[in-house]
Amino acid sequence: MDGKRHAASFQQLEKLGEGTYATVFKGRNRQTGELVALKEIHLDSEEGTPSTAIREISLMKELKHENIVALHDVIHTENKLMLVFEYMDGDLKKYMDTHGERGALKPHVIKSFMYQLLRGIDFCHKNRVLHRDLKPQNLLINNKGQLKLGDFGLARAFGIPVNTFSNEVVTLWYRAPDVLLGSRTYNTSIDIWSAGCIMAEMFSGRPLFPGTTNEDQIIRIFRIMGTPTERTWPGLSQFPEYKTTWQMYSTQPLSTILPQIDPLGIDLLQRMLQLRPELRISAADALNHQWFADLIGQSGVPVQQQSSMSSQIPGQPQMMPPPYGQVPSQVGYGGY
Amino acid sequence: MAHMTNPLATPDQLFQRRSLGALPMELQDIIFFSTQCLTQAAGLLLQLPQSVTAQANVLLARYWLVESMMAHEFSDVSAATLYLVAKLSSHPVSPRDVAYIYTYLLSSSSAFFHDPSSRPPPPPPPPFGSESTTTATASSFSSDKSNTPYLSPSGYQAFHARLLRLEGLVLAALGFDTHVALPHPLAVTYLQALDFFSFRRDGSKEAGRRALAARAVAYLNAALLSPQALYLTHQPPALAVAAMYSAARDVGAKMPECEWWEVFDVDREELGFLVVGMRSVEGWGRKMRKDMKEAMRGRERGMLTRKDVEGELRRRGLVAGDEVGNGSKMAVVDAAEEEAARRLDEKMAEMASAA
Repeated sequence: MDGKRHAASFQQLEKLGEGTYATVFKGRNRQTGELVALKEIHLDSEEGTPSTAIREISLMKELKHENIVALHDVIHTENKLMLVFEYMDGDLKKYMDTHGERGALKPHVIKSFMYQLLRGIDFCHKNRVLHRDLKPQNLLINNKGQLKLGDFGLARAFGIPVNTFSNEVVTLWYRAPDVLLGSRTYNTSIDIWSAGCIMAEMFSGRPLFPGTTNEDQIIRIFRIMGTPTERTWPGLSQFPEYKTTWQMYSTQPLSTILPQIDPLGIDLLQRMLQLRPELRISAADALNHQWFADLIGQSGVPVQQQSSMSSQIPGQPQMMPPPYGQVPSQVGYGGY
Repeated sequence: MAHMTNPLATPDQLFQRRSLGALPMELQDIIFFSTQCLTQAAGLLLQLPQSVTAQANVLLARYWLVESMMAHEFSDVSAATLYLVAKLSSHPVSPRDVAYIYTYLLSSSSAFFHDPSSRPPPPPPPPFGSESTTTATASSFSSDKSNTPYLSPSGYQAFHARLLRLEGLVLAALGFDTHVALPHPLAVTYLQALDFFSFRRDGSKEAGRRALAARAVAYLNAALLSPQALYLTHQPPALAVAAMYSAARDVGAKMPECEWWEVFDVDREELGFLVVGMRSVEGWGRKMRKDMKEAMRGRERGMLTRKDVEGELRRRGLVAGDEVGNGSKMAVVDAAEEEAARRLDEKMAEMASAA
């Protein structure tokens, strides 16, 4: 991140995604030939550098982990800002569309992806960063079967009090119930809820709670997880979005809704999809869940990884998903 | 990510500031002090919380660690850092509001650095309420026709362009690391933890409590203005402990008998250094105000500018000679060019808007 590289150091290839605040291109380093993703940030003519970009850069510079997309460089010119990311072949959404059986992935692939997703989340949380916008489109996949968290445009360092969160528009489908109910004091558990939704979606090929409005999103969650009451969730009636008119749904067993998941997997999912944020499992505990035992313990783990000094758990579980096809994402920022 | 800690200056960076070729130290000090005071004044008028303004003070100090003070007009650097920090906080302000406030503070009708021995200052503009729009603020400026600051459209355009350009330069210089951990909340927490509040000579416990906390926070705020740049050399816990120690001494609070600062990972030596540093700010600030007046010969009051500093350097025979290193000499030349370019820009903009 020396700032000495210029925009001209990269050959701009096809567009990977576009939004109001940035455009993402595939690029090639002219010197090394290495592929990169170039996220071009449009500088607002009135307000200057968007605060989302400043936050994203300052967080990404610190978050160096194999399950988080790496920010190689920031190129700053008079009227634009270009972030140079490591290149990933596509995102989880596209991966499910192209490799899934009607969107559903194979159990061993899901286990590998979930493990990598939770490792990325755990690293963020240990570094006091909330991602806040986890969804399949923001999980990048390369053809080595690696999964990395991308698009930290909405991420925040927590501990810094901020009260402007709630109006930002992000996909509702992966949003935690406490956030939907108007909580402004949410924490790391919101990312765990998203991870649970993503896990269910990988198994079924369909989003678990595809709500259309805030209200609809809440109802869809209650229909499966059961409508909470002040008794099951003390303090519930204090939330700004609390309604006395909610229909009372009883809790559906997740195993009947997602019969394709084995009992251990259901147990983990259940712990991630707790309505009450304080009851949700942490990323660190989830990584130690029995469901992952066969992933780490199996003999197939490459020897060099087992012996490689690091105190960290080997990051690349042995069960490789099939390589990712070259399908560029057309929506959003291509996950960056 | 170090949430509770700050990036600190390297010894090399500190040495560069004080080495040959840099501006004379006492001039650097005056620039630092007056610009940090300007940031504080602007933060007050923009009704920003002190936590935001204090972070802007720290960012500005960091920026001047890596960029020459003479590279840009001091008031512009102050405005850009305050604008940037506010943008990232939950109290963003618009470039227009920043422009109005700085125009006012730099104008002759401002009370900022007003010399009480000369004419009394006019009343400050009404505070900048959240309900008051920019137009309301603008009209409040023009209520007094005689000496109201007027910000022309072209003047605003030029200010806005400088603001955004500097914002980018500051971000690039700091590597986008805008995080500032402040010691203020730590000091209050530590005071509660140690029960310093159970004292003392007179008055109620509650009043003592408040006096002690207020005094500690005052030390921390004053230290923001000092070119000792304590915020660049010491971590928040050490600053908090030193402010508590100084405050407790001032108000006569009873401190624990033991070496309580060690609980907060501060050793005696560091504490001693910081206490001396913090306690010197008040007297030193008074001297600064006097020095500043001398540096701004010919003007009664107002904000120090690069032109004042250039004038002072000339008087000392420093600009023409080689005593001043190339760095700052070039900066002075650049500054003159920039100033000329700016005037040209404004002229062009005026012509364009007239056409």
